[in-house]
Amino acid sequence: MTRSRHVGTERPRPDAADKLAGKAHYIHDIAVQGMLYGRIRFSDHAHARIARIDTSLAESVPGVRAVITGQTTPEIRFGLLRDNVALKKDRVRQFRDEVAAVAATSPEAAARAVELIEVEYEPLPAVFTPDEALAEGAALVHETDHAGRSRSSNLLPLSCRHLTGDIAAATAASRYIVEGTYTVPRIQQACMGTSGCLAEFSPEGNLTITAKTQIPFLAQRDFNRALEALGLTNRNSRVIVPAIGGAFGTGLDTHAYEFIAILLAWKTGRPVKIVYDRREEFSCLSPRQEARIRVCQGCDDRGRLTFRDVEVIQDNGAYTSWGATYPNVMLVTATSLYRVPAVRFDSRIVYTNNTYCQAMRGYGNPEVTWAIESNLDELAAAAGMDPIAMRLLNANEPGDLSPMGLKFDSCALRECLDAVATSLRTSSSPPAGQTRVRGTGMAGLINVGGGGKIYRSDGSGIILKLDDYGNVNVAYGGVEMGQGLHSALTIMVADALGVRPERVFINQTDTATCPWDVGTHASRGAFMAGNAAVLAATKLRERLFALAERVYADEVERNIARIGQSERIEAFDFRAARAADFDLRDGYLAPRQAPDEAWYRIELGRLLRAAHFAERDPAIFTEEAFYEPPTQLPDWERGYGNMSASYGFGAQGVEVEVDTETGEVRILRLVAVSDIGRVLNPATLKGQMYGGIAQGVGYALFEEVQTERGRILNPGFTDYKVASAADLDFPIELRFVETNDPHGPFGAKGAGELALAPTAPAIANAIYNAVGVRVRDLPITPEKVLRALSETSRR
Amino acid sequence: MRYSYHRPASLDEASDMAAALPNARFIQGGTDLMVRIGQGRERPGHLISLRRIGELTTIDANREIRIGAGATLSDTLAHPDIRRRLPALAQSLAALGSRQVRNMGTIGGNLCNASPAADTAPPLLVYDARVEIRNGRAIRCLPLAEFLLGPGKTALQAGEILVAIVVPDPPEGTGSAFIRRGRVTMDLAIASVAASVRLNGGASIAIRVAAGAVAPTPRRLTAAEAVATPTDDWSRAAIAAREQIEPITDLRASAEYRRHLTGILVRRALTMAAAASGQWSIDR
Ligand SMILES: Cc1cc2nc3c(=O)[nH]c(=O)nc-3n(C[C@H](O)[C@H](O)[C@H](O)COP(=O)(O)OP(=O)(O)OC[C@H]3O[C@@H](n4cnc5c(N)ncnc54)[C@H](O)[C@@H]3O)c2cc1C
Repeated sequence: MTRSRHVGTERPRPDAADKLAGKAHYIHDIAVQGMLYGRIRFSDHAHARIARIDTSLAESVPGVRAVITGQTTPEIRFGLLRDNVALKKDRVRQFRDEVAAVAATSPEAAARAVELIEVEYEPLPAVFTPDEALAEGAALVHETDHAGRSRSSNLLPLSCRHLTGDIAAATAASRYIVEGTYTVPRIQQACMGTSGCLAEFSPEGNLTITAKTQIPFLAQRDFNRALEALGLTNRNSRVIVPAIGGAFGTGLDTHAYEFIAILLAWKTGRPVKIVYDRREEFSCLSPRQEARIRVCQGCDDRGRLTFRDVEVIQDNGAYTSWGATYPNVMLVTATSLYRVPAVRFDSRIVYTNNTYCQAMRGYGNPEVTWAIESNLDELAAAAGMDPIAMRLLNANEPGDLSPMGLKFDSCALRECLDAVATSLRTSSSPPAGQTRVRGTGMAGLINVGGGGKIYRSDGSGIILKLDDYGNVNVAYGGVEMGQGLHSALTIMVADALGVRPERVFINQTDTATCPWDVGTHASRGAFMAGNAAVLAATKLRERLFALAERVYADEVERNIARIGQSERIEAFDFRAARAADFDLRDGYLAPRQAPDEAWYRIELGRLLRAAHFAERDPAIFTEEAFYEPPTQLPDWERGYGNMSASYGFGAQGVEVEVDTETGEVRILRLVAVSDIGRVLNPATLKGQMYGGIAQGVGYALFEEVQTERGRILNPGFTDYKVASAADLDFPIELRFVETNDPHGPFGAKGAGELALAPTAPAIANAIYNAVGVRVRDLPITPEKVLRALSETSRR
Repeated sequence: MRYSYHRPASLDEASDMAAALPNARFIQGGTDLMVRIGQGRERPGHLISLRRIGELTTIDANREIRIGAGATLSDTLAHPDIRRRLPALAQSLAALGSRQVRNMGTIGGNLCNASPAADTAPPLLVYDARVEIRNGRAIRCLPLAEFLLGPGKTALQAGEILVAIVVPDPPEGTGSAFIRRGRVTMDLAIASVAASVRLNGGASIAIRVAAGAVAPTPRRLTAAEAVATPTDDWSRAAIAAREQIEPITDLRASAEYRRHLTGILVRRALTMAAAASGQWSIDR
């Protein structure tokens, strides 16, 4: 293996045709016999006691088969801290809390019935910012924890910190020091395909749930717990993943709507499907966390970084999902982007009565990169240094061991920074009019590229099954959600085994048929799948070559007999070929030293049939492998541990034009240079980059979930804006510095998240370069730029 | 979302249906109405589609330009006389929504929907457009300014059909322009401004300014028109415009920013219009 014939070539993705033809089956397309439609009644208050729920009117709606509440069903507890329940019994803590649900024979009946549920509330005092929540005497979002122990503060019992070196001493020894506070808003993942699931029980009480999830196996564990809560002991959940129209972290946890579908299916004995409409997707699904990040960095008189001090406070909302662990990933950048001898990192996550937050692409990294890379530019300005030169001076190098204990076995940050700098130096045309000013800016990044160990296993299993015709069926438990995993996996299986990609078929992800995988997140899919595929393919090749040693000579003789070439072949002693001599290429098996003649090649399917139908020791060929990366689960109290097998690096540069009269910022061009190891499929990789950059542009300039006392004000695309193609009306230059990572399959590192990490700070730095104002609060709206401009001119 | 759908073939038939059917709405492109129905903000019992009525979709460019209310935004934008004689209208159409929205949406729908941010309204106000309304078998005409009454409110009475928008040909030497700002390309305007200028060797003969998204209806800014002059780089016009609008703070922008932005857009639109008038060179 590792001789790559298809890796690195641009290939259409295997799921493209179905998706283009409208034949992919998203959760929205799936219907089964007897299926009911579930719908949820959400809270009308940010914090209130539920005084009374009357479901009688709802029950009388024709077509309604069940109306359930927290009072009428067993409690299903879930969430990272198990602080959430599927249906709230006596108290709501956020606007989207689930208080009742309906299953009906039509979506219309379900919608009507849900409206007819009468809920009486007694409002309670509520807190909407971390500052309010941490103030003396603040209302408690949770008075007890999941086990009933009383709580005295809104601070979450999750700590993640780090200390290397002596910050005070480093501060004292620094020539220049700059401190700033940088904020990021809640933003929506804005998936094209909204959330949903279909739950169905067998008569024995086993559950099959088709769910839009990125973590089928952790979800299986959660759903099995739910079955136990229903008294269904020793039963199993089977999780099947449909086609997914984007997930971006929304599938990284199980959700109340899934447990509610389970409750409704259990109650009615019928399959129940719940699919969110766009409004629900915006207002009832968890967005990315809002955070405030204080950064202080210092450097010596030459511009060498002396220390970095980072303090994060995150608004968790009312319940705890994986969003609360963003600091675990922030640590990577906080401790290890650029060489810093002294680092302090601390984080606090705070309960509020806002919507609770969850994972989103980048998982803390865009947030902390925004803060650090903005601050670094400010430090360069204070030191009177070119910000590019400062970055180059402090760039990480291959072989570095960072303060967090991260090992950089491949690292081309310097090359990426250099390439961006070169590209930015080429000048463009002058601006149109005196009120428009241009500037350039850049930002660097580091991102986990070989998994991210935040769970006790970060592994992936795979099964490669060969059939009698030389096809390879791949059972892999990771999730294709639009990112191109199946494309990368197809190519890697093809090359690892030695078959054509057309012969590789990826099975639907299903916990019943696929081996365990921790989940598709942390840019880990292709990295893990590829490594697992290489392990399994290597086993298959060994078995195939051992088989070949036995049957090859007979098969060649049969070839020769068929074509009658007996006198020309004696140059090569095919009877002497041993297992170690063989190679499989493009689905044909032959000894490496065999002359390039058709009769020396045995088609894989023929070889497999020979093994299958042999009189002695018949065999079929299926191999499994489990890849667990050589990483450590960090000690979060110390913030130490090599959590990823490899790390991606990169830099982005932008040129902007600022309209000094209106405060508008136009991006004129953007260049992104990335070190993601080897490029697997340039087509899908570019898709990941363009998409990430589009999200980065939105994060930088206009995306924001707006709220008022916990209520979401812009739950739809009319009011919540994401970048559309028309907004990306500037050239985007993508380049890859291909390192060959020793841990990566074919040298590749993960590439799913890094594109959006540096976009916002690069834009902010370009704005500063253009007009000398610094906006530290995302999104950088025209109003904020204008305000900053008028403050500067007043000064 | 339960309603019956009707497809009358003539204006008479449509009027009769509207009179006979309870809780009925006219529909053309549906790009406003269907969104509102989908959001549950309107629950009509009957939709009367005007899309089969040929005379609603014609555009006649003679001494006046008469645009059928059912002409799609795309067809209107593509019309050579509109591009040449009503460039500010063409610019507003080019900025409106997306290609898909313009292919479905109509100019009449844009006005009848009466959004304060309706993009075609400021240029049509600047061009002194009037609307032709069908009431049963009768026709009445109104200046556009009297047609737009408030957010979602027009002068249409129950069952009345907007038939056409009639725009007098701008006099020789008129330049006009439209500018808008949204948060992203496809967004309702935060503020929009249309201006037309006819200059005579630096002295203005006729100046018109209208703004959208900064008051309950798109409106003419007559105070700005009165003081508008190229000699001060249109700054007094900009100041007067800021006085004559009533912007609100919403999810898209603050009132304060809208007020500031409108002044800037007024100055820029007037500058562009003056340059387009071809009678005034920028040689100060
Ligand atoms: C994604 C999107 C983006 C948009 N962007 C913009 C934008 O940038 N700027 C903007 O101004 N608008 C925008 N719109 C709104 C809309 O597209 C326009 O207002 C369009 O011109 C409406 O025309 P229509 O034919 O689709 O109207 P319809 O939805 O068919 O009708 C709108 C209203 O007018 C009434 N009506 C229609 N025709 C008549 C008639 N002849 N007589 C009496 N009443 C009638 C209907 O009953 C309804 O109340 C956007 C819409 C969408 C969905």
